[in-house]
Amino acid sequence: MSASVAGIAALVAAAFAASWWRARCEATRLRQRVAAAAGELENLQMAFSRFAPDAVIERIIAEGVADFGEKKEVTVLFADVAGFTALSESLDPNVLVGVLNGYFERMSRAIAEHRGYVSTFIGDGLLAFFGATDPNPWQGNDSIAAALAMRQALVDYNRTLAERGLPTLRIGIGLHRGTGVVGLVGSKELKEFAFVGRAVNIAARVQGLTRQYDVDIILTEKLRQTIDPGYTTSALPVTVVKGIEKPLEIHRLH
Amino acid sequence: MARMSEIDWEPCLLTQHRAPELEHRFARETGRSGEMMRFFADSPWAADALVRVSVQITTIVYTDPNLVDQAGLVVSQDNSCRFCFGVQRAFLRVLGMSEQRIAQLEQDLLTGDFSPRERAALEFARRLSQSKPAATLADLEPMINNGFSSEEIVEFAGLVGLHLFLNRISTFVALPPERFEQLPDSWWARLFRPLLAIRFRGMRHKAKPVQLLDVERSGPLSLFINALDGLPMARDLRIIVDRLWGASALPPRTVTILFAVIARALGSARCEAEAVKMLLETGLVQSDIEQILLHLSSPVLSDVERRLVPLARETVWYQPAVIQRRCAEVQRDLSAAEFLDFCGTAALLNMLCRLGVIVDYRR
Repeated sequence: MSASVAGIAALVAAAFAASWWRARCEATRLRQRVAAAAGELENLQMAFSRFAPDAVIERIIAEGVADFGEKKEVTVLFADVAGFTALSESLDPNVLVGVLNGYFERMSRAIAEHRGYVSTFIGDGLLAFFGATDPNPWQGNDSIAAALAMRQALVDYNRTLAERGLPTLRIGIGLHRGTGVVGLVGSKELKEFAFVGRAVNIAARVQGLTRQYDVDIILTEKLRQTIDPGYTTSALPVTVVKGIEKPLEIHRLH
Repeated sequence: MARMSEIDWEPCLLTQHRAPELEHRFARETGRSGEMMRFFADSPWAADALVRVSVQITTIVYTDPNLVDQAGLVVSQDNSCRFCFGVQRAFLRVLGMSEQRIAQLEQDLLTGDFSPRERAALEFARRLSQSKPAATLADLEPMINNGFSSEEIVEFAGLVGLHLFLNRISTFVALPPERFEQLPDSWWARLFRPLLAIRFRGMRHKAKPVQLLDVERSGPLSLFINALDGLPMARDLRIIVDRLWGASALPPRTVTILFAVIARALGSARCEAEAVKMLLETGLVQSDIEQILLHLSSPVLSDVERRLVPLARETVWYQPAVIQRRCAEVQRDLSAAEFLDFCGTAALLNMLCRLGVIVDYRR
């Protein structure tokens, strides 16, 4: 009698142990899945952070809303490599991509170190904003300091290119300050953090003028009024540009 | 949010000097090893401020200490301070917090498994540390709605502020994080964890409310310090601030200019107005003050101010390596005491300017 009770008790205990073990395995499996999902989410977040500032990503995750815009005064920097088309025809494609990536790497670093945000690369062109992601009362001076750092970084990079027997690069930088809307812009499939407004167009046009006047950095009068008078600039002729009604007062940055 | 191990961090900018008296004082008052104070031995003001803040950060009257420790980890990460994150993570691991829970605090604050009360407090801690835009009374509503008393809210904000101070100063001088990052996984920490946990718990002090004396209610930044009245930290902050303006290696005018610049950088109109008022009392005229704040330069600035003013503006940002490189550039032109006092000053002003929301709340 007592042996059969002990046997039943052992069976119950075994069944209990088995179900406890199953539950534990299930819990471990679920924990691993949750950890994997969290890891994937973070990887996704990190990948996405290359396309939009962290604060914007967090806002999207928290509020679940991707369609937002904010009116802001922003300083726009547009840079382009002079004579890139000719260069692209003379270089091996792999070498060309390497040269271009080295250039973008150095320019992006110069911009980021001066509180700028690189919005996009357009071919050999680069579009960056100052004061678009966080309020920045010194955005004008930052954009000028970034342009000067880009100039210096290019000198250093050209030295490296020359040592490798590669052609050196020349850049033109256009700078302007204006009001517009910042937000995530694009289709459902492809969005980017962007600043939308005439200021981008003006900065691009001003960049185009660097070739006309054979200088590397031009800023508009509107931006010049906000920067430290310690920066040396000289006035260039008032110029009419395509798509902009009023002639532009522009300055060369020394 | 980037993983902490991926944060760029420059080599430490400071050299260690043995300072037995200071180390002993730190160990006696905090219950921790005073070795870290060797980095700060060159500056009596900064060293004293660090001891006082380190004591107050574990001196708690109303708030749940576990919540404060978790907030410490969250804001260290938000500030990208690898050193403080390493310290806080080691502290929580030794106290028995699981790696999974720490990972949730690190990676998953938005969707992780937190009680509404915890989430409200941790979110507020992050708002306080981010400050762009500055935290407002609306950011306090989740804490109020989750049953936090007004005393708990003010103390929690003050304690988060002290964490911000330590985050900032550790970042500016690039304190080496490796030792603390590796500590939880070391064989001896695992072996002696129960004993270490007892020691770590013993570092927390349950304190009683303390009112400021009448004489302590005035002086620079009294608006912010008085908002913390009733907490032991208010008295120590009063001493730290008074000594900063009266007995640090930086002249009072320089400190006040740094205050104005950090206030402008953080978009705190209230702090900026206070700083401008103080600057006018030093003899600077309005147009000079405007030029300093507009361009971070002016012919009226001294050589030291000319170096420190642009750097002060950098201290509100969160890219440690960039800040550390700029600090290293400026450090070369300053005495050791001047550099350390600048780092402490910028850390303190970053903290106090962010506590404006508590001033509004107290009203």
